[in-house]
Amino acid sequence: MSLTEAISMINDGDMLTFSGFTIWRRPMAAIYEIVRQQKKNLHLVEVNSGTHSEVLIGAGCVKVWESCWIGHELFGKLGANLARKVKTGELIVNDYSHVHMVLRLMAGAMGVPYLPTAASMGTDILNPEFDTLANNGLRNGENPKIPAQKYEFAKDNFFDMGELLHIPAARPDVCIMLVQQVGEEGTVRISGQKYTDEEAAKAADKVIVIAEEVVPEEYLRREPDRNLLPPYMVDAIVELPMAGHPTGCYGRYEVDGDFMRNFYSSTKTQEGFDAWAKEWIFDVKDHFEYLEKLGVKRLEALRANSALSYSNKVKRGAR
Amino acid sequence: MSSHEFAKPGEYKIIDLLAVSAAREVNDGEVVFAGTGLPMLAIMLAQKTTSPGAYCIYEAGSVDGRPIHLPASVGDARCVYGGAIASGLFDVFNQLHRGKVDLAFLGGAEIDKYGNVNTTAMGDYLKPSARLTGSGGNADINSLAKRTVFMMVQEKRRFVDNVSYVTSPGWKIPKFPGREFVPKQEIYGKFHRGGPSAVITNMGVFRFDQETGKMYLDTVHPGFSAQDVKDNCSFDLDISRVSGETKPPTYHELELLYKVIDPEGIFLP
Repeated sequence: MSLTEAISMINDGDMLTFSGFTIWRRPMAAIYEIVRQQKKNLHLVEVNSGTHSEVLIGAGCVKVWESCWIGHELFGKLGANLARKVKTGELIVNDYSHVHMVLRLMAGAMGVPYLPTAASMGTDILNPEFDTLANNGLRNGENPKIPAQKYEFAKDNFFDMGELLHIPAARPDVCIMLVQQVGEEGTVRISGQKYTDEEAAKAADKVIVIAEEVVPEEYLRREPDRNLLPPYMVDAIVELPMAGHPTGCYGRYEVDGDFMRNFYSSTKTQEGFDAWAKEWIFDVKDHFEYLEKLGVKRLEALRANSALSYSNKVKRGAR
Repeated sequence: MSSHEFAKPGEYKIIDLLAVSAAREVNDGEVVFAGTGLPMLAIMLAQKTTSPGAYCIYEAGSVDGRPIHLPASVGDARCVYGGAIASGLFDVFNQLHRGKVDLAFLGGAEIDKYGNVNTTAMGDYLKPSARLTGSGGNADINSLAKRTVFMMVQEKRRFVDNVSYVTSPGWKIPKFPGREFVPKQEIYGKFHRGGPSAVITNMGVFRFDQETGKMYLDTVHPGFSAQDVKDNCSFDLDISRVSGETKPPTYHELELLYKVIDPEGIFLP
């Protein structure tokens, strides 16, 4: 399937989630295409957020962001687009903690309505005055994807462990993944850290896989223990090399720190972001023109050493 | 000159002192959760000095990695090199939930005298004067690890009576809506395992009284007085229990930090 076709499966107002972690293995080519297709009112539900969501938020595609963290790590200390749009009231931000968000996706993946935890009790994450979805009248049952409550407390009657927090499931409409390999039939293999990919994919109604390479199905089936998803869980496959740039992809390429630093400094104003988006999203025809603009030299420096699974050719520090 | 002698003032930077002070909080054999930056330097330094048997978990999913190049983030491919397991957040946060984590290093923008920390938003949460990164694992880790150590910048506006938003729970937690402080144990019950054991800033090392849950100054970094620290703190800091000066880095520790752990100058410019 083409990237354009895959992204046209997403509707305005959909709830989305993604593979990866902050600045690693994010489906950036797909993110740029969402911006080109000018999707609106998206509802993002994710664990650690990063550069990908900053692009969507800056472009005005997002109405609700439910997560626990956003930033660009070493290359930009916070999500400047999100910070600006929270202040201006253009974006509804609903905070949970890491564990809460992981459990929301896990509950979605299991098909249960909630999971219990003792994490982050007593914090303002649970302050009822700060339930922004309720404050905006979005917990009225009109949207079946939004739970009626942010959380609830319930006593444990099995082992007398006291009051536990119940966190509602997340059931995204679409999970967009960037993976190293997918088979011709759709079996997915990822390498390195798995982040929350399994929970995110299994919680979603539809899964769009952006793969660095499509490989013979038979090759992946020689070692099923290394695979993540069976074909029937995958709804679309798009083969695109370096589709995670500027984020990194284990075994394939490095985070492009300079690119990310430049993005972060551009996002300090809306005008700055708009100019960045014009240059890197709207003025490039497609993913291959984006790669051409980056240039062979830059891409080759990012390429991972096959023994190390990362590049040792990129200058990272001050020495 | 023995390489295990302490370096003299001017021969090390404050960030070096932070890294070695944090490393000294690690006991051999402990399971340590570490985040990006200084915590990485601290755990690696501890493993190469006093605590070779300490295990490191990075929250993106790598367990007991033996990186040969310093990771620049917990999601970095370098974290996985030589690791026991490369899994994901569900696995490693389950280990935390289960009670397997002894110690964790955390950061924050604001802290109060009970160790409540804000990493979410400054001012009014619903209309913030500054929106920060958010909780991340901070709240969970401070909830469920046996000990946590915070590394922060010492400023009056960061050491406050009441944090703008309680992202992460301290020894006594301001309960909404009345904001009266209640002991963490009351809220966590059988899940209560501990809490912040130290705060390390650019001026000193702080600890918490076991009875009152209040922070006190333990050691002052060379070049500062206890009064200097108190003057850079908005709440009434207890400086009556100062035990002396923070031990500076040794030449051996500096050599490890600059030549072995971060030779590229990623976190130690």
